[in-house]
Amino acid sequence: MSDMKDILVTTIERIYKKHVTKEVVDVVETGGWASAVWGILTDSEIVNVALAEEHGGAGGDITDLLGLYHITGKYAVPIPVIEATLANLILQQCGGKPTANNATIHLQKGVQIKGGQATAIVANVPWARHVEELVTVAEIDNQLAIIHVSLQDADITLQQNLASEPRDTVVLKQAQILQQYPITAQKWQLFTCWHTAAKNAQMVGAIDRVFELTVRYTKEREQFGRPLHRFQLVQQHIAHLAGEQAMASAAFENMSAALLKGTALDEVAYTTICLDEAIRTVTASAHQVHAAVGVTHEHRLHQYTRRLWAWREEGFTASYWKKERANALLTATEEDFWTYLTSTK
Amino acid sequence: MKLPVVQFTEEQHQFRATVRQFLQQQQAQGTYTTKCDSWLSGSNPAFSKRIGEQGWIGITWPKKYGGAECSALDRYILIEEFLAAGAPVAAHWIADRQTGPLLLRYGTEEQKQTFLPEIIKGTCYFAIGLSEPNSGSDLASISTRAEKVAGGWLVNGSKTWTSNAHDAHYMITLVRTEPFDGTAKHKGLSQLIIDLHAEGVTIKPIRYLTGKPHFNEIFFDNVFVPDNRVVGGLGNGWEQGLAELAFERSGPERILSTLPLLQELIKELKAQQNEVALQEVASLVARLWSLRNLSIGVAQVLAQGGEVAVPAALVKSIGTKFEQSIPEIARLLTATFPRLDAERALDRYMAEAILHGPGFTIRGGTTEVLYGIVAKGVVANE
Ligand SMILES: Cc1cc2nc3c(=O)[nH]c(=O)nc-3n(C[C@H](O)[C@H](O)[C@H](O)COP(=O)(O)OP(=O)(O)OC[C@H]3O[C@@H](n4cnc5c(N)ncnc54)[C@H](O)[C@@H]3O)c2cc1C
Repeated sequence: MSDMKDILVTTIERIYKKHVTKEVVDVVETGGWASAVWGILTDSEIVNVALAEEHGGAGGDITDLLGLYHITGKYAVPIPVIEATLANLILQQCGGKPTANNATIHLQKGVQIKGGQATAIVANVPWARHVEELVTVAEIDNQLAIIHVSLQDADITLQQNLASEPRDTVVLKQAQILQQYPITAQKWQLFTCWHTAAKNAQMVGAIDRVFELTVRYTKEREQFGRPLHRFQLVQQHIAHLAGEQAMASAAFENMSAALLKGTALDEVAYTTICLDEAIRTVTASAHQVHAAVGVTHEHRLHQYTRRLWAWREEGFTASYWKKERANALLTATEEDFWTYLTSTK
Repeated sequence: MKLPVVQFTEEQHQFRATVRQFLQQQQAQGTYTTKCDSWLSGSNPAFSKRIGEQGWIGITWPKKYGGAECSALDRYILIEEFLAAGAPVAAHWIADRQTGPLLLRYGTEEQKQTFLPEIIKGTCYFAIGLSEPNSGSDLASISTRAEKVAGGWLVNGSKTWTSNAHDAHYMITLVRTEPFDGTAKHKGLSQLIIDLHAEGVTIKPIRYLTGKPHFNEIFFDNVFVPDNRVVGGLGNGWEQGLAELAFERSGPERILSTLPLLQELIKELKAQQNEVALQEVASLVARLWSLRNLSIGVAQVLAQGGEVAVPAALVKSIGTKFEQSIPEIARLLTATFPRLDAERALDRYMAEAILHGPGFTIRGGTTEVLYGIVAKGVVANE
């Protein structure tokens, strides 16, 4: 991890600690978002950390962003942080110009381009109602392209995921294309990996928080005259949580390190699949240990567990990556599986 | 709990390839057959001698005792290859994994010079003498005792479940050197090197559920142990034993005991072009990948002298459940008829994995006990 990343993460955590109360997170449920926190991040240009200096950035890399996403997941901050920053990073990677407006990103195929204009119904677009532009993937003459369109004239139907985060339906009607870049299959793979890695970072952040909340609760709450953590079956829950948290964290750190060197297809895939299992265990054990108070709206726990249940279904999911891995195993040329596994590590 | 991200060097990849090639050659020559759980149930002194001749025992130890002063990660790679190949390395495994490091840390110069070079040659094996008939998880309750006599100690009592004691020359034995004190039972324990061929030692095999020899009962009837065979401080046995446990719990043998089965399963599903089944396998592979990263991270911290009791307990508790899950998933993905003497490798590995599986989550500390260690560690740190 770079020194810059350490400083960055500490700075952001300080901002979140100060500004992101439970109420700020709750705002998303009534259709709002943490615009004030977003203002701090954009004014301080933290969101530009991974952009090149010529684009007004700090010349960081994808792992600096992953640090930002991780901590944002840990505080459940309702802001389009992944979307805006990844949209710009992808534009930059295509040789394009990052936008100064807020953009969101959506990488499911389906947009058609005709006569230089984009037409499509795009479902589950994160934060569309709060941003001005969209970066997405389109097929032009059987070739994939990254396109950058304005949402100014788009029809936006408000929709939300399990955690009440905006996942709007966007109808593009001959939308004006601001930028358009054909991409190779390799580049497409890189972008799917970045997008998945971003979501993984956020999920690991939420897992860390659920783990922390639960351990703390077992120390505070007493029944039968002793704290919950003294009961052996509760200890078993703690051990399961700690195990999955450690696995998730190790996967995340190794995935990040691999992304510094390239596409990291294997590491991104494995991490996503691991997190799927981690989420199942972590959300179940955390709720069981918190019991009734944990299923109230009043309590913070659901701000994280609902997000985990929502995020695991979005973008390139574990089942997408399982298929990809099955294919990788089928086509691997190494003489056996162990040789294949150890060829990367 | 933050563990380092480890990346192997080019030389380390090279070393892995060298070990792999050697093992492939040995297998082709019929020196051994691949088996699941071979690191503990595959004791083969002739094979251990060959490994010794390769210079692959005690590779991290100082040169003056015959070691190669390689890094802990080099050793990690080496033993991963043994495990992946399912090679019979049980005879020297314990001496290499924990007796050597124990002696290097706590032993006298005379002990180091006596035992380390022999261990390195692959001709001197150690057993672990902890469990007793009435002391399993509650290890500090042991009652085997040593009484002071002129020039040494007289040992009486018994140990049990001692893996491979029938092939071992010595045993690091936890005994009570002071009378039992119910209020401080961890006190007054010491580690002795007991010569398993000494007078008064009786070893009775206990057949494993397969009917094959594996572990043993060991009885001590006034066994004389000279003063120079006490390891480390008198009364310091509990602390020294705990240090050993970190080595015992976090290694790749807590993840890879059934790897031969996973390998064979993937080979078969590939031949069948069975993409749907391979999607299920992808979950196992992802878990294996993450567990390896965790375990390698712990190995690195351990090598730097860091505290790893909790992560080591985590690796063992998750890793051994993973090992157990492989046959359970394999049998749903392909037709098998498990038999120890089957022609088809998959059936054989299935049988080995199923029959040895129950021990994975017991030996080296039960999962229940490990969960307790993890939970207490986490509660104390959060
Ligand atoms: C294949 C194999 C090889 C072995 N090799 C060796 C060896 O070489 N040397 C050696 O010294 N020993 C060896 N052992 C013994 C092993 O260390 C013990 O079996 C283990 O420590 C458990 O002790 P026990 O079998 O007496 O079970 P017990 O301690 O009697 O436990 C019985 C059950 O109760 C549970 N339990 C016990 N205490 C608690 C608690 N406080 N909280 C919750 N649950 C609890 C256990 O988890 C277990 O499920 C080996 C065991 C096996 C299976």
